[in-house]
Parts: sequence; C-alpha cells; structure tokens
Amino acid sequence: MNKTSLYEAHLKLNAKMAEFAGFEMPIQYAGVKSEVQAVREACGVFDVSHMGEFFVTGAAAQKFVDYLITNDFLNAQMNKAVYSPLCREDGTTIDDLIAYKLEENKVLICVNAANIDKDWNWIESKKSNFNITLENKSEAYSLLAVQGPETEKHMTSLGFKDLESFEYYSAKEFEIDGDKYILARTGYTGEDGFEIFASHDLIQKTWAKLMDQGATPCGLASRDVLRLEVCYPLYGHELNDNLTPLDAALKWTVKLNKNEFIGKGALADHTPTHRLAKLSIEKGIPREGYDILNDNNEVIGKVTSGTMSVVLGKGIALGLIKRDKFPENKVFKIQIRKNIVDATYHTKAFVNGGHK
Amino acid sequence: MSNIPAELKYTKDHEWAKLEGDIVTVGITDFAQNSLGDIVYVELPNIGDNIEKEGTFGVVESIKSASDLYSPLTGEIVEVNEDLNDSPDLLNEDAYTNWIMKIKISNEDEFNSLLSASDYKPLCEE
Repeated sequence: MNKTSLYEAHLKLNAKMAEFAGFEMPIQYAGVKSEVQAVREACGVFDVSHMGEFFVTGAAAQKFVDYLITNDFLNAQMNKAVYSPLCREDGTTIDDLIAYKLEENKVLICVNAANIDKDWNWIESKKSNFNITLENKSEAYSLLAVQGPETEKHMTSLGFKDLESFEYYSAKEFEIDGDKYILARTGYTGEDGFEIFASHDLIQKTWAKLMDQGATPCGLASRDVLRLEVCYPLYGHELNDNLTPLDAALKWTVKLNKNEFIGKGALADHTPTHRLAKLSIEKGIPREGYDILNDNNEVIGKVTSGTMSVVLGKGIALGLIKRDKFPENKVFKIQIRKNIVDATYHTKAFVNGGHK
Repeated sequence: MSNIPAELKYTKDHEWAKLEGDIVTVGITDFAQNSLGDIVYVELPNIGDNIEKEGTFGVVESIKSASDLYSPLTGEIVEVNEDLNDSPDLLNEDAYTNWIMKIKISNEDEFNSLLSASDYKPLCEE
C-alpha cells in the first residue's frame, strides 16, 4: 500500500489509519467531533497528499484544459482556480477536479486519488491536437489542506506574505528562502483555508511547524463531515461514471455557451435522470445506500452520502432522487434498517462555511 | 489500554454483562467505545421484547459506522437506558456505569458461560 510522506508523523500522533484509494491514510486523531470543530472555529490541517497533480504546460495549456472540462477555464482570470467536472463525450463524469491557472502557459490540475490513473489515461488520450506538455507529478508532490478561520494567521507565521490580498479560489507560486511552494486558497470544508503543494521534505517541515503553532491535525473522517455539512459532492457518491454533472446539482459547472469541450453536445441535449436532495433527520444517521421514500412510502431514490452533522447535531444526507419521482410536496422519508423516519428537505447547505 | 473490570462477564462482540438476582445489565465495553470513537446515536430496544442470546437488540453509531449490538443472553427486556437518547456520548465517557439495557433471564447457566475478564482481555489486543 502507498504511504504519504507524513505517514510516520501520523503514527506519532496516534492516528487511526485506514486504506483509502490505495493509500494508508489518517482517518482521525483525537476524534471526529473535535476535528470538525477545530476547522469551523480555528484551524485544522489535513494530509491530502494522496491526491493527484497533473501539470499542463505550453502555448495551448489553457485552451487544452478548457477543452477537457465543462466549466469555463479560458475566461477565468490569471491565478484563478476553477472547480469542474471532467466528462466523456456522452456527458458522463470521469472525475471532478480543480484547475489552477498558475501562469499564462502553466496549469495545475488536482484530481481525486482514486481516479489518478483513469484521469491520466483520459487526458493523455486527448492531447494530440494541442501544443502542450502533460506531466503527472502526483508522486513528487505532497499536499496539505490548512482550513478554518484562523488559517491566515497560521500561514503568515509560516512565512507566507501578503495573504490579505490573496483571493478565495486563486493560486500562486511562492518562494521562501529558496523553498518552492504552490499555494491555493481552496479546500473542501467550506471554510477559509489554503492548500499547500510542495515537495515531500518541505511538506514534512511545514506539517511540523503547523503542529508547533497549535493547528489541529485532522483526518479524512472529519473532512467527510465538513464537506457534507456544506454539501460539496464527492466522486463515487454524488458523482460517478454513469451520471452527468446535470444529475448531481452541478449545472452551474457546465458552461454550454463556451467554446467546444468534451461532452458539450451530449450535455446540451441531456435531460437529467436524477435530482440531488439535501435531507436531515432528527434521530439516527442516514447512511449511504439507504432508501429514500415519498409520503406513500414508495422508494424514489437513495442516500449517496450521510453522516452526523457536528454543527447541527442531526443526521444529514445527500441523496439522488429519480427526477420523475421527485415529490412536489417535498415530503421525504428515509428507511433506516426496519424504521421509516421523516426527513426534512433543505434548499440550502446544512452549514454556511465561512470562506471569503 | 482498555479497562476490563474483573467482576463483569463479556462476549466476543464486546458487550459486558452483570448479574443481580435474575436481572442482567448489559452494555458495551471500554474497548468497544474506544474503537467506535465519538458515539453519536444509540438505537435502543423496546421494553417487553423477548431477546435471544446473540440476537441483535440495538445499534450504536459513530460518525463513520453503525454497529449492531448482540444480546449476551436470552431473556425479556425490562429496562432501557433512556439517557442515551439525548446523550449517546455517555458511552464514551464511561462505558460501564452507562449501561444500555436490563434483561430478565430464566437460565443462569447461560450467564456463567460468558467470558471472564481474563478470557476477554486477549480479544482487546489490536
């Protein structure tokens, strides 16, 4: 199994470790609740070095990335980050990713760990008509996500300067005493925060400094609660190889008015088969795979992600509902083992993240 | 290191049992609560239900997982710990004072066949 450069550091902190996407990753340290609270109220640090980093360089770098993804990359300003699905010609979803416009001729694409090979093979197969160089540097980079309202203070202590003017969803290359970092004001928690891409030894040093500064080490379990509280989709749950982004409430990321991109024709003609619903229950936890029912107790969909919200103290879920069965009266129920419980339909995210 | 009181009996599924008269009090062990992490929900059984040895009588849920509870003994459920409805984290605080259910048993031999603290201890080594 793969290990990140911080594996030993996690063991020293007595992290509970488990396999995720072929990597032995920290699931939790002190506890999921306290880690979620640290990120919502102060500052938490996640080792997300398992994620993939592809670099696209060359004169056509921006054009190529814009052709690959459904969101608009070409018109994004220099140094902006763009979240987007990556689709096939038929509109189904290969992955979701963030593309960072680092320079005129240089783009960093960060992809899900479980999809590195699938994405790489796909992107490689599409590059022939573009004047670009494509590099998979996933094994050369470690990645930290530093998240929470006190993150800027911690980053300043690390030596990163002028962060007040560093916009949310943007990225820049930094050099401090000869050490090179790519810094992005992005994350997966809904809070303000930075992601730090750098070499393994630099990330080891940075992790140690953040621990000394009192930032809270956080595992993948709290990361999942945090993203679900703010209703961010997770590939393999709300998104998969058989669904289009239009089936998972991601219409805002599909820009049919931009130049030609892979999947454009299919997505323009597609009638979504599913609708994503945000549901909460008062008692118990709605788990992935549980049936969602209407007021006649007819099964109309399934929970795709579920957990206990630390902020609300309630079970929360995202679920895919068959579009033709979506109840106009918004009455939903969830089957938990032998019990059918009433669910509350939410039009907004369960928690408002504090990002800028 | 898990706390395993010598005076209690145990199951391989990490429940504990204590006999007083013909009433057996049942809970989960310190090892179980520690392995689960933050416990956020407990599904309690119904008073009056009859339960078989090794039958499921409830569920404890942490944020990441749901785990079935297995009855150590056959009997009738006479009491459940309602405090766990509002404060499931009591199980994390002290898994032995915070019991889950009490059952009335008819066969004391069944109780005596449960694991002793020394038999149970090796099952708590990770």
